[in-house]
Amino acid sequence: MNYSLIYSQVTPHIPYLLGGAVLTLQLAVISFVAGWAIGLVNASVLHFGPRPARAAVQAYVTFFINTPLLVQIFFIFFVLPDAGILLSPYAAVAIGMSLNAGAYLTEIQRAGFQSLRREEIDAATAMGFSVPQMVWYVILPHIAKALYPPLSNQFIIQVMTTSIAAIFAVEELTGRAYNVNSLTFRSLEVFSITAVIYVALTLVCSLALALLGRWLFRVKARIL
Amino acid sequence: MWEQILEDAPRFFGPWNLLFLGEALVNTLLLSYLGAAMGFAIGFGLAIGRHPRLYGVLPLRIAATAYVEIFRRIPFLVKLMCVFFAFQLSGAQASLFTIALVTVVLSAAAFAAEIARAGIESVPAPQWDAAEAMNFSRWRVLTRVVAPQSWRVALPPLFGYAVGFIKSTSIASQIGVMELTYAAKILNTRGFSAALCFGTILIVYFLICWPTKRLGEKLEARLGHRAKA
Repeated sequence: MNYSLIYSQVTPHIPYLLGGAVLTLQLAVISFVAGWAIGLVNASVLHFGPRPARAAVQAYVTFFINTPLLVQIFFIFFVLPDAGILLSPYAAVAIGMSLNAGAYLTEIQRAGFQSLRREEIDAATAMGFSVPQMVWYVILPHIAKALYPPLSNQFIIQVMTTSIAAIFAVEELTGRAYNVNSLTFRSLEVFSITAVIYVALTLVCSLALALLGRWLFRVKARIL
Repeated sequence: MWEQILEDAPRFFGPWNLLFLGEALVNTLLLSYLGAAMGFAIGFGLAIGRHPRLYGVLPLRIAATAYVEIFRRIPFLVKLMCVFFAFQLSGAQASLFTIALVTVVLSAAAFAAEIARAGIESVPAPQWDAAEAMNFSRWRVLTRVVAPQSWRVALPPLFGYAVGFIKSTSIASQIGVMELTYAAKILNTRGFSAALCFGTILIVYFLICWPTKRLGEKLEARLGHRAKA
C-alpha cells in the first residue's frame, strides 16, 4: 500500500506541541527535585539510621525499582480514591514519578555516600575543621563531583518518563501529540515530529547540564 | 475499602481470572525476554559496527551512532506509537503483539549497543596492538580477543536493562496488547476493585523483575571476581 507522508497539516501545530514540551520539563523538574529530596533523606537513613529504618528504606527502593511506573500511577490514581484521597491526573502522575525517581535517586546517592573516604574526613578533623566546614568544604564537593553525572543522567530519564502522563490525559508533549493526532489524523507525521522534539529536548538538556556542571565545578575549584 | 477487597478476593482469584492473568503473564514474559534477547543481539552488532578497529567503516559508524543516540532519547510510548502507525499505514498485517515486540527490540538494541561498547572498550589497548602485530584478522580479533573478555563486562548490566524492558512492556497496554497491565485494566472494568487488580499485578511484576535483577547482581559479583583473578 502506498502512503505519502504529508507534514504540511501538522507543522502549524508545532508551537502547540512545544508548549507541551514546557509542561514536560516542568513535570520532570518537579519529580526530579522531589525524588532527589526523598533520595537524600533515604540515603542518609541507609548510612546513619537504625536497622528497622534501613530495612524500610531498602524495601521501598526494591519495590519501586522492580515494578512499572505506569502500574504504580494506576494504583495511585484508581486505588487512593477508594481510601478517600482524590487526586487530579497531574498530581497522581507527579506523585508517582516522584516516588519512583526517589527510589532510583536513593540508589545513586547511597553510592555517593559510600564513595566518601575515611581519610579525607580524618584529614579535615586533623586540620581543625568544624563539622559544618567539613560538610561544606570536604564532603559536599566530593559527593557533588561524584554524583553529578548520574544525577544529570537521571534527569534526562525523568524527561522521557513524563510521556507516561499522556496516558492520564495530562497535556504534556505526548498528550498534546494525541490531541493533534485526533485533530488531523496524520498519525505517523504527528508522532515522528514528537519523537524529534523529544530528541532535541533531551539533547538540549544534556548539553545544558554538562555546561552547568562544568561551570559549577569551576566555581567550586575557585572557592577551595 | 478493605471490606470490599475482602469481599471481592475469592471471586477475583477464581480459576477463570487466574487463567486470564496467566495468559497475560506469558505474553509479558515473551514480550520482554524475547524482545530484550533479540534487541541485545542487534545491539552487539551495532557496537561491533561502531568500533573503528573492528568493522567500523565510516558510514556504518555514523549510521550506528545516529541510531543509538536517537533511539535512546525517544520515550517508549512515543516509539510505540510511531511503530504502531508505521505498521498500520504501510498496510502490513501484524498483530499487536508483533508491534510491541518490534518496539522493545528497537529500544533494547540502542541501549545494548552502549553497554556492548563499554565491554569492547574494557579490552586494554596493548592487546589490540598485539593482535594486530600477530596479523590477526578483524574476525579473529573479535572472536578470540575481544569477545571472550568483554562479555564478562557487558552481561551483568544487560540484566538491569532487561528489568527496564519488563517494566516498559506495561506501556504496550496502550495499544491493547494482552499483557499484565491490560489484563488488570480489563478486570477492573469488569467490576473488580482497583486495589485488587493493580495490587495483584504489581506483585506479579515484582516477582518477575526482582529475580532478574538479583541474577544480574550475582553474575556481576561472580564474573567481576573471576575477571580480577
